Amino acid sequence: MMARRRSHRRNRLVRAVVAYTALIALLGFFLFPLLWILGLSFKTRLQTFASPPLFIWTPTLHNYVAVLGTGAFQHAFMNSLLISAEAVLLSICVGVPAAYAFARFPFAGRGLLFMSLLVMRMLPPIAVLVPMYVLFSKLGLTETRVSVVLAYTTFSLPLVVWIMRGFFEELPRELEESAWVDGASRYAAFRFVVLPLVRPGLVAASILCLLLAWNDFIFAAVLTNDATRTLPVLMASYSGDVGVDWGSMTASCVLVVLPVLLFSFVAQRHLVAGLSSGAVKG
Amino acid sequence: MLLVFGLPLGFSLYLSAEGWSPDETLFGGRYAGLANYAALLTDPDFISSLILTLGYTAITVTAELLLGLGVALLLDLELPLIAFFRTTLIVPMMMTPIVAALCWKLLLDPDHGIVDYFIGHPIIWLGRPWPALISVGFVSVWQNAPFVCILTLAGLRSLPNEPREAAAIDGASVLQTFWHVTLPLLRPYLLVALLLRVIFEFRAFDNVYVMTGGGPANFTLLLSMYTYQASFVQFDLSLGAAASWVMLLIALIACLGFVALIGRRETR
Repeated sequence: MMARRRSHRRNRLVRAVVAYTALIALLGFFLFPLLWILGLSFKTRLQTFASPPLFIWTPTLHNYVAVLGTGAFQHAFMNSLLISAEAVLLSICVGVPAAYAFARFPFAGRGLLFMSLLVMRMLPPIAVLVPMYVLFSKLGLTETRVSVVLAYTTFSLPLVVWIMRGFFEELPRELEESAWVDGASRYAAFRFVVLPLVRPGLVAASILCLLLAWNDFIFAAVLTNDATRTLPVLMASYSGDVGVDWGSMTASCVLVVLPVLLFSFVAQRHLVAGLSSGAVKG
Repeated sequence: MLLVFGLPLGFSLYLSAEGWSPDETLFGGRYAGLANYAALLTDPDFISSLILTLGYTAITVTAELLLGLGVALLLDLELPLIAFFRTTLIVPMMMTPIVAALCWKLLLDPDHGIVDYFIGHPIIWLGRPWPALISVGFVSVWQNAPFVCILTLAGLRSLPNEPREAAAIDGASVLQTFWHVTLPLLRPYLLVALLLRVIFEFRAFDNVYVMTGGGPANFTLLLSMYTYQASFVQFDLSLGAAASWVMLLIALIACLGFVALIGRRETR
């Protein structure tokens, strides 16, 4: 009996050691590349190209100062920020009422409309982009932020409707009905009873829209010009001259990714809830 | 909604059947029937791009599913510090794809890249056909396996424990339990992950654009890249629209599979 318990305990120990080894190897696989890039962004030109590579050095902030001081980067950062914010706002304002309608009003063709919404979200962007580009350029919108904002909204709207419908459906009808009995209008019940209760859903949907807009490249590459270009477009324009200025390149990489990473860490619980409710529970 | 999507799509169908150039008025093109499609289907670059994309999608998605499932099984264990791993291992997924591709371009650099330093001798990853294709696919797997991992982990954690415990009590080995009990229970989650990844890998663009631009010699020219070059580099928007429609039809098959899957669950 004693021997068996001891071997059982040894088994568990072996399993834990194996698991940790695997986890640490995976951590290296997924994170080391990023840490190395982070490290490069704190190196001078000489340190970057040192051979063999330096694993210990005195960090410098020089690259960040240089990047943050360039007009092109500041401009693209502001564009990215404004475009993402506008796209999120528009998607939420249109998508949330639409999702509420899907969840509460049984209208003809509801199921079909919902499914076609889903399909639209899944179509390859490049396929929608060709006609979008032609239409926007004929309307004279390719010179403005409006075109990109509209493009992002078309893709994040289905996402918002999809996530929010799930949240609305989980809410018992009786809550609204009792508000109506107390004399609240349909709108007041929606605004003051329903909306506060689906706040986690709103947060998740907004974050996913934000990620979509901030991280997108293909729409921005086609629909923006020098004045409206976003960060990913600016970054891609660097890719032609790899080998020139690794310092500012890596520093800009960090600056583009950092806001999203910080943001998603803070809101991770909501994000996972949104991802799994949007994609799995439905 | 129909307007926002339907209008461009309808116009695209119209474009694909026209001889149209950007300086004409919207409907000024000459009707060309199926000529654009004929041109497309006789273009050897398009055919090889189509085959390449299907192969690329199949292989990257398989790799993502295997890696994602493996990581999810590890992260499902109850160990101290596991929360730390759960948070950090999914970081690549959050990254801007363009930035991830750019980072890997630096890491794979033959002169100063850290990858070649670890290997010990310089390898020109992006300048030769097969290494370039493998690198592009690898970056996608690296970035998206965490997505599969999140979905399957959510699935694993929502599974009831009893079947697995019962199997263990009946003397099943860890492998047997996994194969005959856990995997079948996970199937719906894996199917969702599979379809979503197929849909997203099929449209792969950012990593190709940054890392190889479709080269060398069109060897990494995936369909999105082909359509992009046709439409916005050669500015043959009619050909681009025709290529778009071929992509749309293929994507639609995957989408309908997804919808059928979700729909079946809805009715339950």
